[in-house]
Amino acid sequence: MRNTFLIFRRDYLGYVRAWGFWLSLAAVPLFMIIGGTFALFAAKSSPVRYYAVVEPAAVYADAIEGEFALNDEDASQQARDLAANMDLSPEQHAALQAGNAAPPRKFIRVPAPADSIDDLRPYLMGHRLVSGPLGDKPLFAVFIPSADGKDLEYWSDDVNVGALRATAANAMRRLARQQALSEAGLGSDFLDRVDASALQVSAHRIRTVADQTTTGSEVTMADRAPVFVAGGLAYFLWLMIFSIIQYLLMGTIEERSNKIFDTLLTSVKLTELLAGKLLAVFAVTSTMMLSWGLFAFGASLFATSQIPGGASLLSPFLAAFANPAIIIPGLISFLLGYVMYGMIFMALGSLCDTIQEAQTLLSPMMILLMLPMFAIFIAFQDPGSPIIDIASWIPVFTPFLLILRMPHDPPLWEIVAQMLIMALTALAILWLATKVYRAGAVHGAGIGDLGGVFKRMFRRKR
Amino acid sequence: MRTPPLVMTQVTKRFGAFTAVSDLSLEVPEGAIIGFLGPNGAGKSTSLRMALGVMQPDSGSVSLFGKPPEIATLKRVGFLPEERGLYKKMTPRSSIEHFARLKGLSAQAARARANELLDTAGLGDFKSTRISKLSKGMAQKVQILSTLAHQPDFLILDEPFSGLDPVNQQVLEDLIRAEHARGATILFSTHVMEHAERLCDRIVMMARGRKVFDGTLDDAFGSLGRGARIGVTEGFDLAAALEPRGFEAHRAPDAGQGDAWRILLPRGTGAQDALRAAIEAGAPIVGFAPEEARLRDVFVSLVGEADAAALVESEAGEAA
Repeated sequence: MRNTFLIFRRDYLGYVRAWGFWLSLAAVPLFMIIGGTFALFAAKSSPVRYYAVVEPAAVYADAIEGEFALNDEDASQQARDLAANMDLSPEQHAALQAGNAAPPRKFIRVPAPADSIDDLRPYLMGHRLVSGPLGDKPLFAVFIPSADGKDLEYWSDDVNVGALRATAANAMRRLARQQALSEAGLGSDFLDRVDASALQVSAHRIRTVADQTTTGSEVTMADRAPVFVAGGLAYFLWLMIFSIIQYLLMGTIEERSNKIFDTLLTSVKLTELLAGKLLAVFAVTSTMMLSWGLFAFGASLFATSQIPGGASLLSPFLAAFANPAIIIPGLISFLLGYVMYGMIFMALGSLCDTIQEAQTLLSPMMILLMLPMFAIFIAFQDPGSPIIDIASWIPVFTPFLLILRMPHDPPLWEIVAQMLIMALTALAILWLATKVYRAGAVHGAGIGDLGGVFKRMFRRKR
Repeated sequence: MRTPPLVMTQVTKRFGAFTAVSDLSLEVPEGAIIGFLGPNGAGKSTSLRMALGVMQPDSGSVSLFGKPPEIATLKRVGFLPEERGLYKKMTPRSSIEHFARLKGLSAQAARARANELLDTAGLGDFKSTRISKLSKGMAQKVQILSTLAHQPDFLILDEPFSGLDPVNQQVLEDLIRAEHARGATILFSTHVMEHAERLCDRIVMMARGRKVFDGTLDDAFGSLGRGARIGVTEGFDLAAALEPRGFEAHRAPDAGQGDAWRILLPRGTGAQDALRAAIEAGAPIVGFAPEEARLRDVFVSLVGEADAAALVESEAGEAA
């Protein structure tokens, strides 16, 4: 145990003392901060623009303004729906119902300063300004009905900003429908009334009578959170295994090229050496992932603290994390999966003399790792799919798929049997990888001589 | 009687069809300095790796302090492998400390020992320098110090002088003597006979995986018999010329102009008699010297000229 710790300590300190480790550690939070700040800045700094509609009757202009108002109402409704899942005080709920939760408008209508496109050109090109509620600004866009009345022409100096034109197009469709309905004597709100009278399709989760009495049957975030947590855990395992490939390959290459194995093997047992190295890489990647996770958690806490009742958004996820039925099998799968894949990579690394040799192994390893990624994706979409049922019995997929199936209460015998298969496979891989490692490290077998590797693997050992 | 640090009994190791070590029996008594001699490829390193349990013999047995080699007994052993290796990103101090701790020293004791050894070896100013930035000789010194850090009872050094300049070879010789004076038993392999002549009280010679000699230096020289060296112009077969006159001649490693021959002196004859016989045989003599026996000659007489040539190649390679 002491020797394992000493090997672990040396390797771990070796990794964390490298500047690349700190660069990686800082990169993700830095990227998140820069990305978040940039998105926020982009949203806030997006300018408010003036537009005008050239028409005497203001029918089109009112239709466009009406479309903007409908969009605002939709955004407010989404905010109210989200708030319904939060622990808000009655006053806060009332304020939300009364207020407009939509983001501020980015397009403001101003009176058209001229009637023809030739006369409007200096305003649209920024040579002249128009007055509006936010002061004098260039005219961003103008709508002019075409001569034949079949088109509402959109003129602007910047045609890449498409939001205004899209809103106007929706407004024109809605206007045409309303006019058609009025002409048919059905009233302009006929379709809205029809939609409102349609049967709503509400989701209910079937539970035992006792559970249904206490928690009801409505589908809430508490029902969905375990799936997200399991998905996150499976993806985390995948990401961790993906991250360790290079550490394990390069770590063993360093020892092989430094000719250090003989010295080590007269001081520690091979199993202690392997355990120490595997633990060190596990600790390095855990340090990174936990640091990123803590940063993300801290950022989430901060973000939710800024929203009244926001903490209640996190509580279903925290409850799912604390659920032993998910987290215990999840952690066991996680560890066994790590040992299985880690030992494979370390054994292969022990056969390489150079980084170039190791790089030739990276592609097949990536392909090997893409298979579970596809399985994770399918299982997340449809965990009950027969292909996922079958794949979950294949040891290379089991760690990921068992985690993902846990929220769906698979039969206990399946969980136990799959864990047993995983444990036996992990043991078999440990045994085999130790043989490969010994062949590579002690007997000098190389990746280019697989026949020799096989022969050396089954020599007697200490 | 104390248990010998190492006993190898009829040990054989094969790699496919190639027999690296054949039927080797060897006992290293406590307190000895033993030289393990032979050219490259003679099976020395394989034997030492088997002695340490890094490699298993195909047949025969190995006993280290009375037990099969295992980590507990290996803590009493300091091993310097032939292929030198250190973690290049570590510093000399942390490297010595790490290996000393793996051998059982506490963190505090390991650090104190690392400081002491580095100061003694003249590397005090480089304690915190990365090993990758040290010269090859300095790095090799660090590895030797790592081997000694836990004050082992038994030192196994595989080609310890390899790669060292003459000054550092002398430093290492002194270090080996100091370790021996401390009470350590020492087994070291080399293909440079002079080191063994200066340091060892017993030698074991290997050729083509077989032990060809095991005894004291006196035994070695005694087995050789007295001799003389005669140089003749190239191409003259002195062996054929002297055979009718009762002298046996073997080619010796070249030592100047012409071909060098070593003449074995039968009991009752002297070097002058051999010279006279050569003159009488019409040999074109270019040099003559009564011989002072060297280990190299013992090796030549034991293994024949083909293996002796391999030894010469090994030494030439080392010198280069």
